Amino acid sequence: MTSMWKVLKQWFIEMGSPPLFYNWSSKIIPWLGIATLVLLSIGIFWGLFVSPIDYKQGDVYRILYIHVPSAILGESIFIFMAICGFINVIWRAKISGMMLKAAAPIGMSFTLLVLVTGSVWGKPTWGTWWVWDARLTSTLILFFIYAALIGLHSTIEDKTKADRAVSILSIVGVAIIPVIKKSVDWWQTLHQPSTFTITSSPSMSPEMYLPLLVCLLGFYLFFAFSLTLNLRNEVLDRERSKNWVKQKFSS
Amino acid sequence: MNSIFDWLTIILRRDLLIAFRRSATYITPLIFFLIVVTFFPLALGPQESLLSSLAPGVIWIATLLASLLAVESIFSEDFRDGTLDDFFISLEPSFVLVFAKVLIHWLITGLPIMAASIIAAIVLYLPFDSFLPILLSLILGTSFMSLLGALGAALSLGKSAILSAIIVLPFSIPTLLMGTSVITSSINNQDYFGFLMIMGAMLAIGIPLLCLLTVEALLLNYD
Repeated sequence: MTSMWKVLKQWFIEMGSPPLFYNWSSKIIPWLGIATLVLLSIGIFWGLFVSPIDYKQGDVYRILYIHVPSAILGESIFIFMAICGFINVIWRAKISGMMLKAAAPIGMSFTLLVLVTGSVWGKPTWGTWWVWDARLTSTLILFFIYAALIGLHSTIEDKTKADRAVSILSIVGVAIIPVIKKSVDWWQTLHQPSTFTITSSPSMSPEMYLPLLVCLLGFYLFFAFSLTLNLRNEVLDRERSKNWVKQKFSS
Repeated sequence: MNSIFDWLTIILRRDLLIAFRRSATYITPLIFFLIVVTFFPLALGPQESLLSSLAPGVIWIATLLASLLAVESIFSEDFRDGTLDDFFISLEPSFVLVFAKVLIHWLITGLPIMAASIIAAIVLYLPFDSFLPILLSLILGTSFMSLLGALGAALSLGKSAILSAIIVLPFSIPTLLMGTSVITSSINNQDYFGFLMIMGAMLAIGIPLLCLLTVEALLLNYD
């Protein structure tokens, strides 16, 4: 147990070094890409074509195979960013700041995707593109907070300082996540309460929620994949004057 | 050897003196608040029922905008003339500095706005019973806005004032929601104490957390 802990600790320390991270990620990227492709295509095919039709909503419900995973991703990426921010503020670990920066546009895109797929679903089902309901509004706020973080980062010239400024703001912003999560319980909302909880079995039939789980896993892998790609760019950009980058690209 | 309270009084006295020598610092948010409130009857028409139903939102939107107005000046002047550097060198817990600055910002924006909110409540035809909840929600809400504003000002130090507004506004939405809920439920004779408690809880968490993060944000400029 202790030796495993040591190996893990050693790995974390190594990943803090940009060249080691860069080399390690070159090895992992193809595997991540393949796994993402496989899981997403299985999940989406299963969800869109194989799983049974909903007796009340018809085929419209199938948008949930995109909507629900991107909602979960939009929120968990923010939590991930806040953790990175916390590490960056306390221990000044450079790579965590870069991670924060690399994750922000992905999280913002997922949040936009939730809002768009939600309103596409809402039009035929609720009869309106948008309602000012607690779940929807708090998700919109999350989108604005992402925008504030990205905007703040782009205004500060020094990248390391920008990372720390955004880290500080992301720690404050994480307070929105429990509000989004609990909004369907605290307020009377049009949005239905969550189907999934970790503690109890889902109220959906397995034919419907198993593809959703596969999609969710695929989305998480896609996040890991795109985060690694973004992070590699970021590392190269920041270290462009360093020797290891010059050596790598001179030949 | 000065204690924390000595430092607090020194900074408070100094900044209050500066603020009072230049009356624009505390008059501007007040006038701005009243102008924004005036715009709503002009734009929407003077019907009493319409205005009184919109009043909680109007008062709170005007409050948020007015308290954002002075946000940029919280640290910028001291940063430009080097006073902030001196504070960081001499002052052991820099927490005190930030706390004092937040307090000053509240005294020159929050307090005048609270006075003006009663005028706004009268001209927007709100009942007399709602004045107390308006004031209570504004005490808690404007203090929280001052804390958020200090963080925004520290993060956008030396940059455009609009940046701090964009940083702060998304985070002020919970305050807006709770504040308007307090006033609306008091008008409808419902219990508004729960919303006040949530605002109080936000303030209680915000004072230590946001002050510390503001210190951290200010230190970004002194690497």
